[in-house]
Amino acid sequence: MKHVFTSSLSNKITLIILGLIVLTYFLFVTLPILAVFLRIEPSQVNAQLHNAQILDAIKLSLFTSGIATLIALVLTVPTGYFMATRNFPGKAIIDTLMDLPIVLPPAVAGVVLLYAFAPKGLLGPIFNRLGFIIPGSTIAVVIAETFVASPFLLRSAKTGFENMDKDIINSAKMLTGSRLRVFFTVTFPLSIRAIISGTMMTWARAMGEFGATLMFAGNLPGITQTMPLAIYVLLYSDPLAGVMLSIILIVISFSVLIIVKLLEQKRFGVKK
Amino acid sequence: MIKIDSVAKSFAEKKVIENLTLEVKKEEILSLLGPNGCGKTTLLNMISGLTRPDNGNIYINDVLVNGEEGTKRVCLKPSERKVGYVFQTISLFPHMQVQDNVSYGLKSLRLPKREVKKRTSYLLDFVNLREYAKFYPNQLSGGQKQLAALARSLANEPQVLLLDEPASAIDPQLRESFRLELKNYLQALKITVVYVTHNLSEAFIMSDRIAVMGNGRIEQIGSKTEIFDKPSSQYVAKFLGINAFKGKAVRIQEGFLEIAVNNVQLLAPLAPDLIGKKVIVTVKPENIIVSKSADLNFNCALRNSIEGTVTEMVQMRSTAQVTVDAGFSLKTRLPISSIKNLGINIGDKVYLCFNADALNVFADNGSEPYID
Repeated sequence: MKHVFTSSLSNKITLIILGLIVLTYFLFVTLPILAVFLRIEPSQVNAQLHNAQILDAIKLSLFTSGIATLIALVLTVPTGYFMATRNFPGKAIIDTLMDLPIVLPPAVAGVVLLYAFAPKGLLGPIFNRLGFIIPGSTIAVVIAETFVASPFLLRSAKTGFENMDKDIINSAKMLTGSRLRVFFTVTFPLSIRAIISGTMMTWARAMGEFGATLMFAGNLPGITQTMPLAIYVLLYSDPLAGVMLSIILIVISFSVLIIVKLLEQKRFGVKK
Repeated sequence: MIKIDSVAKSFAEKKVIENLTLEVKKEEILSLLGPNGCGKTTLLNMISGLTRPDNGNIYINDVLVNGEEGTKRVCLKPSERKVGYVFQTISLFPHMQVQDNVSYGLKSLRLPKREVKKRTSYLLDFVNLREYAKFYPNQLSGGQKQLAALARSLANEPQVLLLDEPASAIDPQLRESFRLELKNYLQALKITVVYVTHNLSEAFIMSDRIAVMGNGRIEQIGSKTEIFDKPSSQYVAKFLGINAFKGKAVRIQEGFLEIAVNNVQLLAPLAPDLIGKKVIVTVKPENIIVSKSADLNFNCALRNSIEGTVTEMVQMRSTAQVTVDAGFSLKTRLPISSIKNLGINIGDKVYLCFNADALNVFADNGSEPYID
């Protein structure tokens, strides 16, 4: 009896300690977020939404992250398909290199982009001849965001294609000779959730891009000052505006995560 | 109809199909029977064009679909071979209604819409799924899904139909009725069918002829009776659950062939050319009569009567498999009721009787794959 008692007591203690750890971590993550929300009163929100600098930053962020996400879609979905369905020598290395921006420190991303696209960089002369100076332009923002954020979509799309039931694809191949038709009618629709969820992650990452943009594109209001860069500047000159932008980004991030989670849960639908 | 000529295939240095030759006749249902991993699915994939063989030629309806003709290398796309394929897993397109699954192949034929509609409803009627046309695959039962997959594979009017363990994705209690239903459809189709299975009774139910596969080649091909009465190798016999043991053909006695197996003498049908040779003997468990008294042997007109000890009894639904050590191990099959009447237990001494005709004897050439 004693043994049973001690074991159930130790189980209880373990559970309490575990609960405390979970609570600590939860508060560690959520309290700072709450802190930002507490700094602004609902009455102030409306005024902030008419602040020109805030609006410019929001517009620029939506525009650049939208373009970056579109570019990522066009480039990474076919690449992911190729990587998921083909084997070739050196595949592991190429795969790793394409994932690199995910873990690369954003400052380093900024440096490498500068050395690639600055007027005296690797590709700079080409753009010079075409009449473009990339660094300091809105194009630089898009490039930085695409560079940093697209691997999220690549990974997600690749995993989606890899996890497809081969027999389903083979069934389609038995019935049509057109690879494009198999891709667009079967492969793509069946991996659409992985692609949407990757797109959302890429977009959220692009919206939040800071370091690479700051290094490579600069911080020019209306041209390269995206929301995170505006927060950085405003927090000292106009703290309330910085708080407002932060809240918008928090809401966006939270919504993206919710959508991604729903997509991962939902199974192929019974439509009635 | 299908001719496979010396085909070989390796995956990452591992030989999966070795110099395999097989002919499937027009409009027959041929079962490809063998244990898991013996290369059955690879063979189907090569016929269908999903897998390219390393060597050898494959012809469908006298057309070379894979291989070399003169200096030309031929490899037709799966969709160009007039082959239908039903896969082991339920491979319906989950995001399409049943009718769109069935019409998928028709749409690549560039037929007028009306024709597509007509043929789709014909195929849905054929497998009795008309009411389910607008259902999604996850709303169907396992059997209905495979029948829908069958209808889909028939859309392009194939000359050959390949089925890879189609019953394995179906609940065990419904499998029996699914097989019978499927068999009716296959017979009504009048096309050449290659039916892959590892299940003996399934091969028996479904097909006209059976090809037993082992270690990447065809071990034996023939009608059901040929395969069961005269297995041509120890491998085939063991796979079919038939006793197979090694012995030596000694001499002719009373118009029979006398065979020595360990220290036991057996009489088998006469085959003078085997005398002096090492042989393999097979006998079906159900052809062996078991008794407890030596008396019966005198009355018994059967030529062979040997003594042994029961070493194992495995009870099945209505029969039991009784293994007897008679100097070599022999499996017999008895109704449960007979076992009760005879009072057979493990360790008991029993007498085994069987006719000379029940034995199938062939020369032991030494090299063959082994199941165990």
